[in-house]
Amino acid sequence: MIDLPGVLADVGRGMIPARIYNDAEIFALERDRLFSSAWIFLAHESEIPSPGDYVVRRVLADSFIVVRDENGTVRALFNMCLHKGMAVCRAEMGNASHFRCPYHAWTYRNDGRLAGVPFHAEAYGGDDGFAREDQSLLPAPAIDTYNGLIFVSLNADPPALREWLGDFCYYLDFYTRQSPAGVQLRGPQRWRIKANWKIGAENFAGDSYHTPHTHASVVDIGLSREPKANKRKEGALYMAGPGSGTTCKLPPGGSFLEQLRYVGYPDEMIVTMAATWSKDQAGLVEESGFMVSAATLFPNLSFVHNWPVIDAAGTVAPFISVRQWQPVSENETEVLSWFAVDAGASEHFKRQSYRAYLMCFGSSGMFEQDDVENWVSITEMAAGSMARRLLLNSRMGLTSEDKPVKPPMAGFSGPGVAYQGFGEFNQRHWLSQWSEHLGARDEATSL
Amino acid sequence: MKPLPYSDELHQAAHQFLVEEAALLDAGDYLGWLGLLCEDIKYVMPVRVTTARGAGFDSLPDMGHFDEDMYSLLKRVQRLLTEHAWAEDPPSRTRHFVSNVRTFAFSETELYVESALLLFRSRGDTREADLVCAGRTDLLRLTTEGMRLARREIKVDESVLRTQNLAAFL
Repeated sequence: MIDLPGVLADVGRGMIPARIYNDAEIFALERDRLFSSAWIFLAHESEIPSPGDYVVRRVLADSFIVVRDENGTVRALFNMCLHKGMAVCRAEMGNASHFRCPYHAWTYRNDGRLAGVPFHAEAYGGDDGFAREDQSLLPAPAIDTYNGLIFVSLNADPPALREWLGDFCYYLDFYTRQSPAGVQLRGPQRWRIKANWKIGAENFAGDSYHTPHTHASVVDIGLSREPKANKRKEGALYMAGPGSGTTCKLPPGGSFLEQLRYVGYPDEMIVTMAATWSKDQAGLVEESGFMVSAATLFPNLSFVHNWPVIDAAGTVAPFISVRQWQPVSENETEVLSWFAVDAGASEHFKRQSYRAYLMCFGSSGMFEQDDVENWVSITEMAAGSMARRLLLNSRMGLTSEDKPVKPPMAGFSGPGVAYQGFGEFNQRHWLSQWSEHLGARDEATSL
Repeated sequence: MKPLPYSDELHQAAHQFLVEEAALLDAGDYLGWLGLLCEDIKYVMPVRVTTARGAGFDSLPDMGHFDEDMYSLLKRVQRLLTEHAWAEDPPSRTRHFVSNVRTFAFSETELYVESALLLFRSRGDTREADLVCAGRTDLLRLTTEGMRLARREIKVDESVLRTQNLAAFL
């Protein structure tokens, strides 16, 4: 048996038991105490624009049909027939007015309501034996959206999504609301890696320290706009609500327009951003001089914004990716990686941004290739008995007395707490939320 | 259009081209591989999806694993040749199996070639090896320097890839 209080105490002081990155008991606790109650991302509304459009997505082993019904309402329906339990939808995506179970042909409308039971009169004696009224595929216990991002919770009584997102919304808008048209997601690319799901989440949450070395090759070949990867140490790290992220320092003194031009946005998009974002949000770019880079929303949704050089002429094009670290087991993760772009952007911009995404991130991305190599290796190393004796030092940025090496930034435009330079504040912030879930017995959900 | 008979010299030349290409990739001779590509190369690999029979599509129209031209392929090759491409250091042991080759005479100077590809990729000493299975449709151009690859569409047979990345060419 795992000494959970001991593990959580070690995590609390920034010394991470290596085994948590490959341990079946920990994974069972994550399933029962974290994924059973947290808000989990499933899809984006742009993936299902029309009535009947659906995608099938999972929360661990639970399959949900995320569907826009005939009235335009977005629903997440547990993909299991009420009768004998077969999956009523076996495609990943499509458009359907009804879902019919292949086994006995029980049929459901795309809002989940049971519409047809074959031989209802003969087999059940009609409604007397089985009342069809009010029967429905099980809906996800809670569902809500922000900027079109669809989240569900397996807890029927979670905090309101907007309230839970809190100050992270300020940062989330940079990735998912560059104009009133909102963001559109394309993909996802999906692939499975033999790595624990937490490693990617922590990396995107705040690991600017890995960039100079892990991603040295993309600097070597001139893919990165920034000539020196160690420029990352000038970036700010922020923690806000359930999220945290990294930023890159922009050239000094630039206006809002100049800074966004620097990362490759065309003027018409910059004008729209200026009108869409609040003055405080614009201040992150103009007054503080930072551009959002990677971020993670607890537990397993990450974002990245980068601006590589995409052709021989030196064109700089920014891109956004939304990605989910979908746990398969303690040592395997399915990565879902979407290309995200402002729906109102020109086709020319979308083409360039898509190209930038493919070169950098996703299944073939030149940044991501090296990340995954590291994460698979960590997971392999964490499996054995020696790893149970090893506490990984995740105290970067703290003195021996738990004080920050440098004080938090004063006058940082964004909400939350920010530090400039390298540090593992964000990873500890992520892990503290993880600890809260694992340490809590959630009576509401552990049936 | 009917495929050329196996006895046709153009078919044999196309088949040999694909086998020689596979040999370069398995030897890690990426610069040599680039030399087989036309300057206007288009190299794409759409994301495959599971859809109902009759849905009318089984790949995403606007998302690929690859959507490359000569510049981006050159960058990928240059990266693998740096000292910092950890994804392939130590290198994978790969074997590109090419079969089911069908050649179609498209014009005086161009051939359409379909082939099946199975990539075996082994990393490290103890990890399970990866397999990537795909069909390919190529446009081969007959140039004064010999046969060159002008277009490749890779139709991967899995919706969810089971290899940790595509630090390999297919």
